Amino acid sequence: MSAANGPLLHHSEPIDPTLWEWLSTKIDHVLGISPGVMVFILGSGIVLFPVIVMVMVWRRQRTAGDD
Amino acid sequence: MSTEHGGTGNRGRKRVFYGWYIIAALFFVTLISLGARQGFGIFISTWEEDWGVTTAAISFVGFVGTLATGFSQPIFGWLADRYGGRPIVIVSLAVMALGTIAVAAVSSVIGLVVLYGLVISFASGGISPATTGVIVVRWFKKRRGMAMSVLVAGGSVGGLIFVPFLDYVELEFNWRIAWIVTGSLALVIGIPLILLIVRSKPEDMGLKIDGGKSIVDQDSDASQDPVGPKYVERWTSAFRSRPIWQLSFGYFVCGITTSSIAFHYVRWAQSEDISRDTAALAFALLSGINACGVIVVGLLSDRLQRKNLLGAVYLVRGVAFLTLIFLPGSMALWSFALIGGMSWLATVPLTASLTADVYGVRNLGTLFGLANMSHAFGGAAALWAFGLAFTHFGSYDVPFAVGAVTLLAAGIVSLSIKEKKDSVRYVQVPREVILSSDETTVATT
Repeated sequence: MSAANGPLLHHSEPIDPTLWEWLSTKIDHVLGISPGVMVFILGSGIVLFPVIVMVMVWRRQRTAGDD
Repeated sequence: MSTEHGGTGNRGRKRVFYGWYIIAALFFVTLISLGARQGFGIFISTWEEDWGVTTAAISFVGFVGTLATGFSQPIFGWLADRYGGRPIVIVSLAVMALGTIAVAAVSSVIGLVVLYGLVISFASGGISPATTGVIVVRWFKKRRGMAMSVLVAGGSVGGLIFVPFLDYVELEFNWRIAWIVTGSLALVIGIPLILLIVRSKPEDMGLKIDGGKSIVDQDSDASQDPVGPKYVERWTSAFRSRPIWQLSFGYFVCGITTSSIAFHYVRWAQSEDISRDTAALAFALLSGINACGVIVVGLLSDRLQRKNLLGAVYLVRGVAFLTLIFLPGSMALWSFALIGGMSWLATVPLTASLTADVYGVRNLGTLFGLANMSHAFGGAAALWAFGLAFTHFGSYDVPFAVGAVTLLAAGIVSLSIKEKKDSVRYVQVPREVILSSDETTVATT
């Protein structure tokens, strides 16, 4: 294990591979969803968030123009 | 949620202050940046198998990366102070994105040292609180603590979403695709998001800090706003006063105590015969409480003295360290997750906000970047010292006791900051008074 592989994600330390193995086992056990579906679910969330923010700003600017 | 003065929209609804959209955009790029840095850990075993290298060799990459990020933060912070946070975040994100995509073509540890250890890690310092904080404090004054807390909590929660995402991409495809996806997200979504939404300061959009009245029709100028009695025009001047040393000392201790636990968490759990299931659940609890804790502290910090909260955070973390010494295995683990989780990230928004309140926003990037560097070096020193102590004493009791004592010291030092005397929240002085006294000091010396 690396001296620079901290698990607690305080700032930007890489996650500890041992702890990640423990965590991913636990997640798989609880959710039991295939990797492909998880990629879709998490990926959709990651992409949708900035898209929603951009739409909100665009609507705000359009409203400001109407004012 | 604060709203904008004079902005009600055409349906009479109050408009959300634009600063919150900036927080949302910075949240996303922080997520990508932290995800790329944190996700490194999940590929280590794959690289070991694929390339036949040792963990120590790949650890060296992480070590170089930690140093590079530590050094880059004051540099990028200084640049953000001079040129605004927006261009620094954009350039850093672009470099980080290209470096991340290039990792997909790497097939040796040397390639990782160059791309991850140097390029990505150095560039990620430009997407850290030292630069994003420079933007946030220029948009928020009354709710500065809350805004910084949301950004920091976003990075934490984001990391917890992005790291599993990368792992599943690797499982479904391979590790090279995972790095390409990360870099592409930064290039295709992150950079346009910053370009479209983020502005370094509200004046760039004809707005005013905290959503106050638009300055377009006024003669008011942000550079004429009152400042605190310790406001500095040059960052070096700050080091002639006490608060920056008090804040930096606390942040150094923060680095010692978080990095040491980060590295020794798994080893300690194993030495206490705690099952991996229990340790994983406790970690998940700590992470959840961590994100909630930082938001609660952010809310309180805009109402109470920030130094009192900062002192309390260090003291609470000290108590968490004591539980590791005095409570038995599993009970210590859960107690630490509950008590320590509340304090884990809360130091970041409090330290950044206090630095801005005392010295003004003009040099925040440099000053907070230096504080972050002390945090990184404190952490690196602690990893080595805790390891030595464990080897010598055969248990973590002594290093944890040292951690508790340093946290007690950090708590007392933070509480001794004279916020009501030095912070712009409590004492406001016309800027010209400070500048003229600075000139007098320079003339007499």
